[in-house]
Amino acid sequence: MFRILVRRFIEVVIFVLVITFISFLFVRLAPGDPVLSILQVDDVSVTNEQVNELREELGFNDPLLVQYCDWFADFIQLDFGHSYLTNQPVMEMVMSGLPATLELAVGALLVMLGIAIPLGSLAALYRGSWIDQVSRAVSLLGAAIPSFWLGLLLIDLFAVRWGALPTMGRDGFRSLILPSVTLGLAITSVYVRLLRSSLIDSLSHDFIRAARSRGISEIRIFFAHAFRYSLPPVITVFGVSLGSLIGGVVVIEVIFAYPGIGKMVVDSIRSRDYPVIQGYLLVMAIIVFMVNSAVDLSYRYLNPELRLKERNHGKWS
Amino acid sequence: MFRKCRSIFIVCLAFLLLTACSTESAKDQVGGKKEVNLLFNFATSSLDPNVDTSYVSLRAGITETLVHLNDEDLTIEPWLAKSWDSKDGQLWNFELREGVTFQNGKPMDGKAVKASLERAMNDSPAIKNALRIESIEADGNALTIKTEVPFPEFPSELVHPNTSIIDVKESDYINKPIGTGPFAVSKFIPGTAVDLIRYESYWDGAAKLESARFSFNEDANARSLALESGDADIVFRPEVESLENFKAIDGVKVESTSTFRVHQMTMNLERKALQDIHVRKAIDALIDRSSIADTILHGHAEVATGPFPSTFSFAPDYPKKENGMEAAKGFLDQAGYKKVDGVMQKDGKPLTFTLLTYSSRADLPLIAQVFQSDAGQLGIDVKIKQIEIPEEYMAANRDWDLTTYSNLTAPRGDAGYYLNATYHPKGALNFSGADDDYLTSLIDELNVTVGQEKRSDLAEEIAMYVDEQVYNSFILHPNTLVAYDADKVENWITSRSEYYMLTNELDVK
Repeated sequence: MFRILVRRFIEVVIFVLVITFISFLFVRLAPGDPVLSILQVDDVSVTNEQVNELREELGFNDPLLVQYCDWFADFIQLDFGHSYLTNQPVMEMVMSGLPATLELAVGALLVMLGIAIPLGSLAALYRGSWIDQVSRAVSLLGAAIPSFWLGLLLIDLFAVRWGALPTMGRDGFRSLILPSVTLGLAITSVYVRLLRSSLIDSLSHDFIRAARSRGISEIRIFFAHAFRYSLPPVITVFGVSLGSLIGGVVVIEVIFAYPGIGKMVVDSIRSRDYPVIQGYLLVMAIIVFMVNSAVDLSYRYLNPELRLKERNHGKWS
Repeated sequence: MFRKCRSIFIVCLAFLLLTACSTESAKDQVGGKKEVNLLFNFATSSLDPNVDTSYVSLRAGITETLVHLNDEDLTIEPWLAKSWDSKDGQLWNFELREGVTFQNGKPMDGKAVKASLERAMNDSPAIKNALRIESIEADGNALTIKTEVPFPEFPSELVHPNTSIIDVKESDYINKPIGTGPFAVSKFIPGTAVDLIRYESYWDGAAKLESARFSFNEDANARSLALESGDADIVFRPEVESLENFKAIDGVKVESTSTFRVHQMTMNLERKALQDIHVRKAIDALIDRSSIADTILHGHAEVATGPFPSTFSFAPDYPKKENGMEAAKGFLDQAGYKKVDGVMQKDGKPLTFTLLTYSSRADLPLIAQVFQSDAGQLGIDVKIKQIEIPEEYMAANRDWDLTTYSNLTAPRGDAGYYLNATYHPKGALNFSGADDDYLTSLIDELNVTVGQEKRSDLAEEIAMYVDEQVYNSFILHPNTLVAYDADKVENWITSRSEYYMLTNELDVK
């Protein structure tokens, strides 16, 4: 047990070192200069000497490795720095935007599950029927409609015409509905098709036939055996989706003025606010790492075959 | 099976409860109050008035500055400072308005203003550069400020929203800055909205509104829809295409006001062809300003004759210029260019330009395309190159000839900012590379000239010289569009500076 913990710890340390160094390198090597944003050159009269002075003061003229070591020295003391533009502590900024984005991501996933599970299951159970055609059409539409357009359509219908929901903002559950539905519909298409094909595959296995021969009811066969067996590939994609949902819901956040982390980081990239970008990348990397670990663990729970294989190979961890 | 369903149900329920508890519904708070909701196009995650570049605190009436910009005659006037004077442009005496209190009831006196300005300079390198203050002395309501160098435009720099005066002893600058304005912060939802309540002891008379909401949305379509749905009462920069829809809605009024911004064609004077004034004049003549204003900006723009909008006292009456294809051809003739096989050339070399443009201002790439098409008719090959951040690209690369660029020209009522930044060899926005001894001496003279009238005369002379030399070409001043529910909102004034939005006069019917 101790050895496993030590191994995990070393893995995490290497992961953090690699991810922070690569992201630091990419952020700094990308063209751009935060000094111009900090000095508000488009609004305040500034001379070239003042620009150079600040650049020197902030250490941008130092070699990249020196800059990284400076950043890392602060980082190991859990000092993630302050935003160049607003002077806010970086972690405070990231942590204040994260709940909104998580809310949106979870809302979208619930909408997706609410549509994809019944539609994908029915499409698999009634292959080739009209319901299968409907699911195909829904998937195609979902994949083809740009989410910003869908969002505006939903605002027009539910907020302008019916006055049932707010157009924007983060004011409780009602304001979460439209952005969640928009985002949920956008990702549903992938899952409907994936669940359908995975279910069709699992329904054709011998253990289903065996279950039927034992007289187990169709409903129980479907949920307790076939559905569970078909989940691993869906969960793999689910893990990737969750990562991309947390990192990339910018368009939805902008349209619905939902104050999440995606929009915050896009603004930071635009103004080359390095500490904020760096802090965001670190938090995202840790979240994605955790989600992927959770996905890995879930395979073993959902698919007994895997557990059996591991046991046969003598892996008990 | 049942246990699994129950777990999922509990997780969903917990999530719903969490989101429902996160914030209370905005509409619940509004019921029956004298309130407006203004929807602005830049979001902010911090209300700190000394560093927030969206200037929300000043715009929302939370804070005020020492000096105010009069929107009608575009001159500076007293605000928190009652008066000011300086004999040499370096030592300034300010007399503060009496009886002004912060929203926590504490008095705004010299000591508080000194602390606030020092804090602004400490936290914002931009403001430190802009104010160039060496020392501040406070005595009661009198303030003596010494600048590092003679700095005659100093009072106009105090119009800048980041010089807002706050009580620095109240340190939650990000969520609840304490200013002297007619509205105090009641709740701030970063990136979404700030809720405001009337400050009863406001020095210029308590606001007519009981409360207000200043919300943000960066999507123009979504802003238009918010006005249509009634979620917002005043909307900044709605989508131009949605104006037709607004006409069909009773009571919606659209105001279109010219700004202090100019869309210009920046010329790289280090390129050989552009060192010939006749080529620069040809480019200027080729720009079809009226057509660009009418078609690309749907008429919501003022055709530019120079950098400063015509209402400024330092905007000269420029002599009428020759424009159009024939005039451009005439200038190129004078520069020695001839059209051979449809290509404009000199000494066998074709005239070609690399034109930079960027998409953060949607109209600029379209202007570039119109220019490319018009130049093509004259046999000039224009290659358009899309860039991301123009300031960075133009400063670091000299492989371009022209750029469609947008500049603020006199945001605080003085020409000094634009002329220094754009035409002085040391200016950070001097992308054209202007290094003209006569022009530099004129700007240096402006920098030590005290007195608004004298400064205006000199700025006018400089603007005229820049026009004669055609160092840059000016296309148009884009308008700001504001749509609002005129059946509900009363006393709304669309500020040309865009600094002043929620005021104590704003009311509902």
